[in-house]
Amino acid sequence: MDVKEYRGWLIVGSLALMLLAATPTLALYLKIPSGSERFSELWLLGSGHKAEDYPSNVKVNETYSVFVGVVNHLGYSAYYNVSVKFRNQTQQLPVASNATHSALPTLYEFNFFVGNDEAWEALLNFKILNVERSNDYMIVNSLSINNVLFQVDTISKRDETRNGFYYQLFFELWLYNITSQSFQYNNHVGLWLNVTDFI
Amino acid sequence: MKPSLVLLILLVFASQLLVAETFLIGEGYATSSSTESEESVVSAYRAALETEKAGANVSSLLVKLNEAAKFLASGRMSNGSADFDEATRIAREVENAAVELKDSALSEGLQRMVFTMTASVVGMALIALGSLVVWRLLKNRYRTNTLQK
Repeated sequence: MDVKEYRGWLIVGSLALMLLAATPTLALYLKIPSGSERFSELWLLGSGHKAEDYPSNVKVNETYSVFVGVVNHLGYSAYYNVSVKFRNQTQQLPVASNATHSALPTLYEFNFFVGNDEAWEALLNFKILNVERSNDYMIVNSLSINNVLFQVDTISKRDETRNGFYYQLFFELWLYNITSQSFQYNNHVGLWLNVTDFI
Repeated sequence: MKPSLVLLILLVFASQLLVAETFLIGEGYATSSSTESEESVVSAYRAALETEKAGANVSSLLVKLNEAAKFLASGRMSNGSADFDEATRIAREVENAAVELKDSALSEGLQRMVFTMTASVVGMALIALGSLVVWRLLKNRYRTNTLQK
C-alpha cells in the first residue's frame, strides 16, 4: 500500500478522534430537548398502601384512611396544593378536559414541594360525623378530616339503582405557576362513598 | 343628670370602642401575617427554582420549604400568628441559603466549563500532534522499505 493512501485514513481517523475530544465542550452548549412528556401523577391508595381496599361503604362515626400521593415528572421542583372537597352526586366535579376545577369549597388542603422525579405522600383519615336521614334523602352535616371538623351540610337523594346515599370525597391537584404567580388546577381523583347512618 | 354620672357613661362607652378596635387590630394582624407568610414561602420557592436552574441540588432547600408549608397550613387552621412567623422565618432562611447555593453552583459550573474546554483543547492538540508523529513514522518506514528494495 502506498504511503499516500495511509494519509487519507490518518486524516479521517484524527478528525474523528478530535471530534470525540470536543464532545464534552459541545455538550455544554448544545441542549438536546428531552423527548419525554412532562406531567404530574396524582394517586390514592387504600389503608393497606395498595391500590385496593378503598373505603366505599362507610358508616357514621367510623374512621377510614387513604393515602394520597403525587409524583413530579415536570423537569423542575414544583410547588403543589392538594385540595380535599366533598360533594353529592349532582354537585360540580372538576372537568379535566378543559382544566376547570370544582367551585365547591376546599375542606382540607396540603401544600408541599416536590423535587423532579420525586414523590410525596400523606395519610388522610376521615370520618362522617353527623347525618340526618329520611327514606329518600340524607344530609351529611359534618365530617372530620385528620381530626379537623368541617360543617358540610350536603344533601343526597337515595340512588335507587345502587340502593344507597352516595357522596364523593375528591382531591384536586393544583400546581403553582411562576409566571402567573398563582396555583392552577391540574387534575383530580375521587372516592365514592355510600354512607350508612349507623354502626 | 349629675356630671359625674354622664362622665361615667361616656367612659364606659369609650372603653367599649377601645376593646372593639383592639379585636379588629388583632384580626387584621393575623390576616396580614398569613399573606406575608405565604409570599415569603413563594419568594423562597422562586429562589430555590433559580438555584436549581443554575445546576445546584436543592433537595435540602425543599425539605426546609416543606417545613415552612406545614407551619403555614397549621397557621391557617388555627389562625395563629406564631405559626405564620415561623413559616416566614424558615422561608427567609431558605431564600438566603438559595442565594449562596446558586453562587456556589455558578462558580462550580464555571470551573467545570473551563476545565472541560481546556481538556478538549489539550486532547485535540495531542491527537493532532500524535497524528503528525504517526504520519512521519509511516513515511520514514515506507522510505526505508523502498530503499532496501
